Amino acid sequence: MEWWIWPIALFAITFVMGIVAVLAGVGGGVLFVPIMAAFFPFHIDFVRAAGLLLAITTALSAAPALLRSGLASVRLAMPLTLVSSVTSLAGALIGLALPSATLQAALGLAILGIALLMWRSRGAEHPDVPRTDALGAALGMHGVYHDPALARDVAWRVHRTPAGFTVFAGIGVIAGMFGLGAGWANVPALNLLMGVPLKLAVGTSGFLLIGGATSAFWVYLQRGAVLPMLIVPSIIGAILGAKLGVRLLRGAKPALVRRVVLVVLLLAGMRSLLKGFGI
Amino acid sequence: MVPNEQLICARWIEIGTRVAFACLVATFALYLLGGLEPLVPTSELVRLWTLSAQRYVAATGAPTGWAWLRLVGKGDYLNMLSIMLFVAVATACYARLAVAFVRDGKRAQAYFALLQVLVLLAAASGAFA
Repeated sequence: MEWWIWPIALFAITFVMGIVAVLAGVGGGVLFVPIMAAFFPFHIDFVRAAGLLLAITTALSAAPALLRSGLASVRLAMPLTLVSSVTSLAGALIGLALPSATLQAALGLAILGIALLMWRSRGAEHPDVPRTDALGAALGMHGVYHDPALARDVAWRVHRTPAGFTVFAGIGVIAGMFGLGAGWANVPALNLLMGVPLKLAVGTSGFLLIGGATSAFWVYLQRGAVLPMLIVPSIIGAILGAKLGVRLLRGAKPALVRRVVLVVLLLAGMRSLLKGFGI
Repeated sequence: MVPNEQLICARWIEIGTRVAFACLVATFALYLLGGLEPLVPTSELVRLWTLSAQRYVAATGAPTGWAWLRLVGKGDYLNMLSIMLFVAVATACYARLAVAFVRDGKRAQAYFALLQVLVLLAAASGAFA
């Protein structure tokens, strides 16, 4: 196949991915890496580096509006970002040390696990947090945001902060290892474990993954795993797709889109697993 | 009601990502249109991107670490400047947050922001590669 077909194909695919990611409420990286690793000829090293940069750029694009509206909280994200930044470095190093076939199979398993997590977890709109824990209070993990849908201010605080740190450390390892970003795990961890209201958890998730994805990306860059021909059209496509996705959001059916995403993840996960076993 | 540091951070990210995106489109257009000769010929990429990063580097002489800086005159590695802008936006944002937290007397948050900057700088230095 001629080389010039690839940037066009990458742009087109990531443009659609960008739209779907917004409509389904998932990060771009969690779709990009499984699809590219399972169905495209690029080596998984380049795909993972591209996945991390895609996660960074799409999260950065969405961040200003979310931060200004108060639907993302820097105070909540900052300590958790630091933990996942350190562990994602370890994840990237582990990922680059593993044989490609092992990593491909592990990615398949991880994607199937993520699909299961997305299918099973039901977010709690406003989780009940009877009292905050000492660590959460000391770190100032509380606040108020305005919910336009409810037309009122919503006060929030966290609990189980030490457990939250542990879970975010694990998320960092997986995100760095597979280049997946971390939105798929950040939201349930913030919402179901730490008791953060669902809207705030979704809004903060993107800002939270920037630090971890950036630190892991540096490891891939240092090893020469950054391929502009793969990365640049993908970023441009994903950012433009996400912008269109935001416009389409009002008339969309998120539940249907989410089901489509789950099917895509299942197929990509299984294909990746089989590829890992040389099938 | 939205904390001051969030508004500052939003402004920095917004400006930074706009500049980075414009640069990315421009440098990639230059690369695709053949304005600058690439290090790795585009026609060769289809065969080479199936290799692991380690083997790709060995086969092409592609740079690792910060060695790409010496190759910004090449069409493919000129794009790295734009990619770096995106990565720099994140780091600069945390640094700016640290300053904002210090000014507002939020010590614990300032430490976290500062540590975040240090982790990213250490990662960028190649200390973990």
